Amino acid sequence: MGDVHEGPRPRIATRHLAQHLGQPVCFVGRVEKIHPSGKLFILSDGEGKNTTIELTDPLDEEISGIIEVVGRVTNQATIMCMSYVQFREDKSAFDLGLYNEALKIIHEFPEYYPFGVTKND
Amino acid sequence: MWSSHGGFESGFGGSSIGGGYTQSPGGFGSPTATQGEKKQRSRSQNIVPCTVSQLLAAEQVDETFKIREVEISQVVIIGIIRQAEKAPTNILYKVDDMTAALMDVRQWVDTDEAGTENVVVPPGTYVKVAGHLRSFQNKRSLVAFKIMPLEDMNEFTTHLLEVVSAHMSLRKNMTAPKIPQSRGSFGMAEMANYGSGSSVMNGLTAHQSQVLNLIKSCSDPEGLSLKELKSQLHNINMTTIKQAVEFLSSEGHIYSTVDDDHYKSTDAE
Repeated sequence: MGDVHEGPRPRIATRHLAQHLGQPVCFVGRVEKIHPSGKLFILSDGEGKNTTIELTDPLDEEISGIIEVVGRVTNQATIMCMSYVQFREDKSAFDLGLYNEALKIIHEFPEYYPFGVTKND
Repeated sequence: MWSSHGGFESGFGGSSIGGGYTQSPGGFGSPTATQGEKKQRSRSQNIVPCTVSQLLAAEQVDETFKIREVEISQVVIIGIIRQAEKAPTNILYKVDDMTAALMDVRQWVDTDEAGTENVVVPPGTYVKVAGHLRSFQNKRSLVAFKIMPLEDMNEFTTHLLEVVSAHMSLRKNMTAPKIPQSRGSFGMAEMANYGSGSSVMNGLTAHQSQVLNLIKSCSDPEGLSLKELKSQLHNINMTTIKQAVEFLSSEGHIYSTVDDDHYKSTDAE
């Protein structure tokens, strides 16, 4: 599969999954449910829509709150997770709705927030 | 709004990172300030929020980097540390902001200082990095003068917006006409005559500016009356005019003369 961390991973919300089948993406959402097997969990995005995150190896820790997943979109529009990180919320809660608004902006202006390197824009 | 992390040394001006980089008096001014002069080694005084992809794509001419013809030198990125390598004189981090491959960020270590400055930030931490863009043997990297772990992840969201805002402004500055007042096009012919760019950049709303400019232009000793203001500003209602006058008066831009309906400007024109 290659190391997805070597290239661009567009930040997306649930509704963008279909446009990125097979591609590396970055998804930020709130933990809604964790499958008992630990190989699957559900995140909700800033619009309240859910995305399923699959893991090759089961989770070895409890996760909760806001998770940022880097992975590849499967043909079933789930995300096969390569790595994840939990956003710290010990000092302040993360505003997921605001993040969703910011996503809209960066998608609207890809010339000012490019994913990937194109010389001489 | 966002908590200040003790401030940068390089002339940040304000206490918060969140915005104001084009307005802060602390030497950030818009790049157009040097538009007319082509200095040989003009160090850009700005610090520009960027993505790693933008840093990698910037054009390089000798020692200077440009994004859209604007020289960039000091930049801010936000990303997650994927790797940290400690060497005797520096710490080399690999920072990931999802827009491209990992960016090398080098932080020089002061070997004389006691340990506090040289704590390695652990991988998996989101950080804000302020530093200079460098290129060595065709590989770009950042030399950081400040690396701060984010305490509030909303700062990361802010950065997304600041990057778009900054680069949009930079592009606008490159195409904007050189005369500042042409931006204050409130659709009134008289506006174009009014001086040195005070129309938009002085913190006044459009209505307040229009009212102020009209009052400034009046040379009568008793100043301009509210009635005259209303007759000249057809698109603004009396309440708005009165609010503008009250604001301008409390800020010290105008003062009342023969009565509360007549005002003159405090700026000698």
